[in-house]
Amino acid sequence: MPRSSAVSKPKPARTLAQQADRHALYERAVQDPEGDVKFFARTYRKIRGHDPISMREDFCGTAALCCEWARSAPERTALGVDLSQDTMNWGLEHHIVPAGRDVASRVTLVCDDVRAVKRPKVDLTCALNFSYYCFKQRAELLEYFASVHAGLNRDGVFLLDMLGGTEAILEGNTDNDHGDFIYRWEQAKFDAFSHDFQCFIHFLFPDGSKIYRAFSYDWRLWMAPELRDLLLEAGFSKVHFYWEKTDAKGEGTGVFYEPDYVENQEIWWTYLAAER
Amino acid sequence: MSKKPAKPTPATKTSKKPAAKKKPVAKKKPAAKKATRPTLAERADKHALYQVSVQSPGVDIEFFEEQFAKYRGRKPLRMREDFCGTALLSTEWCKTDPQRTAHGVDLDAATLAWGREHNLEPAGPDVARRVKLAQADVRETRFAKVDLTLAMNFSYCVFHTREQLGEYFAAACKGLVRDGVLALEVYGGTESMSVLEEERPVRGATYIWEQEKFCPIDHRTLCHISWRFKDRSQIKRAFTYDWRLWTLPELHELLLAAGFKAVKFYFERVDGDPDDEFLTGTGDFVEHTEIDNQEAWLAYVIALK
Repeated sequence: MPRSSAVSKPKPARTLAQQADRHALYERAVQDPEGDVKFFARTYRKIRGHDPISMREDFCGTAALCCEWARSAPERTALGVDLSQDTMNWGLEHHIVPAGRDVASRVTLVCDDVRAVKRPKVDLTCALNFSYYCFKQRAELLEYFASVHAGLNRDGVFLLDMLGGTEAILEGNTDNDHGDFIYRWEQAKFDAFSHDFQCFIHFLFPDGSKIYRAFSYDWRLWMAPELRDLLLEAGFSKVHFYWEKTDAKGEGTGVFYEPDYVENQEIWWTYLAAER
Repeated sequence: MSKKPAKPTPATKTSKKPAAKKKPVAKKKPAAKKATRPTLAERADKHALYQVSVQSPGVDIEFFEEQFAKYRGRKPLRMREDFCGTALLSTEWCKTDPQRTAHGVDLDAATLAWGREHNLEPAGPDVARRVKLAQADVRETRFAKVDLTLAMNFSYCVFHTREQLGEYFAAACKGLVRDGVLALEVYGGTESMSVLEEERPVRGATYIWEQEKFCPIDHRTLCHISWRFKDRSQIKRAFTYDWRLWTLPELHELLLAAGFKAVKFYFERVDGDPDDEFLTGTGDFVEHTEIDNQEAWLAYVIALK
């Protein structure tokens, strides 16, 4: 795991916030590429009966997931797509180059609109961390889903995640303490009329310094049935919703199943899979 | 599409510890002198209870008349009430003006019959003659065109797919005159997506709104209306609704796709008075293009053809 090692010890005046790297903090706070890769491979196998080889990561950012995918098996290839060349460069430097020639040779990064990329066709496309929420119009999201559909092999699967729950539609902050920093998720605005959803990520440090609004999101909070409707309309044949099993204390176990009915919770996130 | 839903009362933490306010049932007359005496629940009529518990036709009519005049510069005369149930709103509509006519549409013959006997006939022949009732699907398009179509109490939530709801909206649009208006009611907010039970007193009983299920994956919600009486008898789950809880952006998109030119939303101002045990709505609706979410809200949707 990359630590904030942009070291510069001699200058005493630099705050922890100034020394930190927001991409590294983001990865530690919100990503779990190993878990995602395992879930994707297991889910794909369950639906298709064989292993997926090629994976495309839309809104890939630092491409941590692409890198993990290529590392997880010697035949696996990954294609990352994002609009920010800077962020992908960060990923090249911190993940892909350090992973070695063999892994690096199986990862391709493309700086483009996710709706524009339709080749090469892949077994599995994923869009995580709710990034597709940036498409606020139904027609836009439909166009994106249709382009994902067009870019999948015949037995391809599209995996995405979503956020929900009674508190997802409220304003407020959630803090997670990671020891050397606090990750703060701020839901600054939710509008029931349009479902416009404005969120920020802040990082707070023990010396009192912070990276305020390290990441900003101007989203529409899409509801699960809307996503199902859109995916089917975009041409997918079947949509699966997963739900995380909880233990006796109500904590997530990392194990997902496909429920018929679940009771709503205050806040939840989960995966969806759509079969081409 | 039998009887309609309940207005979840604009919400309230307090309303959940409701029975609290009720005095311990004044009781125990010399033991039940007639064991055979019917309970209050047995003597009650669920349609009559429904009307007093969740309907307020006067408020609805006043509001829609005002909005219609604002957008169309005239008075609406011909009204269609979809999912009309007992046609209380249709009856009241015709009482407000001798030129007015109403057309109630519902699938449930028994409920329509109840309405004829208890609402239309008592209103007198002049009113009754101007109310037409049809046992039909609201997506039927062969009816005479009207100025205003009302679908109150969330009944359109019986349509679970975009296709079905889109078809209903398209039929509603087609059934309107050139400057016609469709009005719907919506509820939402965090509590609408939860399992809960709320109570409030109504004339002679306690009205109970129960959200037995809400599934966040498909937004299907299973709700019931029950009443409890002073003698502790109950009409349990007198009405049951298997709905999809549609959200405002979905309604907006579907209405535009169905052919309406503009869609307006009116949220009921909820009084924040902490002493108001039921945090009841003020009956004051204001147009919004952006709202903060609340625990529970009610809104009127007005779609202009």
